[in-house]
Amino acid sequence: MMARLRSSSLLLVSCIASCITMLGCGPLPGHPKPGPEVPRPDSVLDFATLYRQNCSACHGAGGMNGPSYPLANPKYQALVDEQFLHRVVANGEPGTLMPAFAISAGGSLTDEQVDALVHGMRAAWYKPGTLDGANPPPFRAAQAGNRMGDPAHGQQVYATYCSGCHGAAGQAGKSKAGSITEPAFLALVSDQTLRTVIIAGRPDIGQPDWRNVLPGHPMSDQEVTDVVAWLSSQRAGASEATQKQPDGQKKGGGGLP
Amino acid sequence: MHWLKQTYDWFERRLQLEGPIKETVLHPVPKNTASWWYVFGSASFVLLMLQIATGILLAIVYVPSAGEAWNSLQVLNQQLPLGWFLRAMHGWGSNFMVAVVLIHMAQVFLFGAYKFPRELTWILGVFLLLMTLGMAFTGQVMRFDQDAYWGLGIGASIVARVPFVGGALVNLLLGGPIIAGPTLTRFFALHVFVIPGLMLAFAGLHIWMVIVLGINDWPMPGRIVRRSTYVQEYKELTHKEGIPFVPGAVWKDMMFSAAILFAVALCATLLGPFGPTGVPDPTIIQTVPKPDFFFLWIYTILSFLPENLETPFILIAPIVGIGFLLALPLFAGEGEKSWRRRPIAVLSITVLAVGFAVCQNLGTYTPWSPEMQAWSGDTVPVRYVHTATPLGRQGQIVFQEKQCRNCHMLGGVGGQRGPELDGVATRLTYDQLVHQVLQGGGNMPAYGKNLSPPQVTALVSFLETLHPEGQRPAQDASQRYISSSGELDPPHSASQ
Repeated sequence: MMARLRSSSLLLVSCIASCITMLGCGPLPGHPKPGPEVPRPDSVLDFATLYRQNCSACHGAGGMNGPSYPLANPKYQALVDEQFLHRVVANGEPGTLMPAFAISAGGSLTDEQVDALVHGMRAAWYKPGTLDGANPPPFRAAQAGNRMGDPAHGQQVYATYCSGCHGAAGQAGKSKAGSITEPAFLALVSDQTLRTVIIAGRPDIGQPDWRNVLPGHPMSDQEVTDVVAWLSSQRAGASEATQKQPDGQKKGGGGLP
Repeated sequence: MHWLKQTYDWFERRLQLEGPIKETVLHPVPKNTASWWYVFGSASFVLLMLQIATGILLAIVYVPSAGEAWNSLQVLNQQLPLGWFLRAMHGWGSNFMVAVVLIHMAQVFLFGAYKFPRELTWILGVFLLLMTLGMAFTGQVMRFDQDAYWGLGIGASIVARVPFVGGALVNLLLGGPIIAGPTLTRFFALHVFVIPGLMLAFAGLHIWMVIVLGINDWPMPGRIVRRSTYVQEYKELTHKEGIPFVPGAVWKDMMFSAAILFAVALCATLLGPFGPTGVPDPTIIQTVPKPDFFFLWIYTILSFLPENLETPFILIAPIVGIGFLLALPLFAGEGEKSWRRRPIAVLSITVLAVGFAVCQNLGTYTPWSPEMQAWSGDTVPVRYVHTATPLGRQGQIVFQEKQCRNCHMLGGVGGQRGPELDGVATRLTYDQLVHQVLQGGGNMPAYGKNLSPPQVTALVSFLETLHPEGQRPAQDASQRYISSSGELDPPHSASQ
């Protein structure tokens, strides 16, 4: 009994001693972190936290590998500016599922938080000089002289540049990168989204930029405008999209292999 | 040392406490009750003392006003040296106290210690349990954060369901119709004066009875408690094989209490204080309020109850439960004490313990509650993004933007309210998926009016790819009998 007592008191003493040692060496594990445990949601101005809570679901963790456009693509960041990003984050993007995040537009973020997001994105992903000398087509169709595209020419452009991966227009069956001419797909993306993806590419899923669709043959501003005009013309009839054909007769590549 | 003896004698001549104290500490207890099973009561009392000591220290800094309470806890957590540790000790102390009190109660029940002549000890113990839980609830309110605010809201709505006097009771509880300044001062008075005062008085009586009636003898199968003979039998037992309480039995109590205090301190050191979570501002809706550990089981039960059973359950179950506990020694005051011959007692404790554990577990993970931030925060698994078609990727965006993720997990992340969708294509065909999305069903709302046809197409085009590699997706068997021209083939020709 006494031996047991002695050993347990030895254990107690050593535990207390280790506690005292821990007290002497920096903050204890239980010490609360600085600031409130749960800050007011509108007081969060840390970019990483705001991005993780509001953006990462669609644009991917770290701005890549999400279903929506990869914001961490430096070519994209080189094409846009802070005003554009601020407007899209605050008010959403018409014609797409990008929602408005500013409180003034029905979202939950204050203006400061939208600013923090935009500044954070630029600081993390904008690399000055990325497109220096590359002479990309203008990012906005409007900047390209407000021309209407030529859908007929756009169809030829599609056949030249796009059909290799996305399949010929209206082609049934599977193509390497999946169809982009399905009315349902086109109903969910805006012309600007199409233009953005064509010019800046999507490095995370292997979509090349305007220079590398056909290596050595960069797409011209006219070609980009025309192919977008043609794709846009394919949107008609989107309302029939839920009418599923029997298996094997689906339009475009309907699923995973 | 002479002056010490003189001082002692001066006090002793006036107080005359030496005799009773000596008698108490040396009173004989049955030898086999000096057991590790008999240490939970004293540990509960030691924890009560810890709570009082830490509580007094906290009360020196704490400001019981709705505007300042949360800030004063921030001061304790951040600015005062070891203020956080004090809060952590008080918080963990309360968790341990509820746990040890429950264990003590289960042990007393299994050892038949509530039987004659210790009925009143048990009844006071039931009140002590209720007061411990009352302290836990009012303590949660003292933290005055989002959990406290909404917890109070739930408590008030429970009280409001009492017929006829519900409204008046809410007024009494909250100091008005809403949670405001008077609410916190009211709960402060309860937590700091009313309940602890009652608790000390009850605990004093409880211990007094343990001393004068003697500790419950170790239950032996076949040794039946009878009102006519028990006291005599107990006296003989303590005379024959009794040992003095000090030091025979007390050292185990002390060791266990020390271990419990050490465990509280260890938890406090390693895991820190509880909250406070966000400021108690009802305009902040980005919060998932949850009760503290000891009330999670009630939270679970209330979450799972069908709506029409809520009020009857809330009003009847506590009365029946507490009534049963209070009446137990009155209708089962005699008879067998040993758990070996009381299968129903053992079964009840087992069922209660398992039910408690299951409810606590469910309450921790709240699978019934949507994750309100999942739609904008939880990423789509990268492999789905990479293998999807452009339409499927739009479907993934629809899935997130329409907040499907808040109830459905993908890749183990997201809400648990609906089924996980990683293998949904093995369960539902394309048509069934479309039907489920448009019409809802099985607790899922219909989304037909909230989605455009292209959105449905895109969403289902994504969902129909969700089947594990190598596992066939669900197929509509009737499709096999439809020829490529769209006409119905007779089954026999299709099967060839």
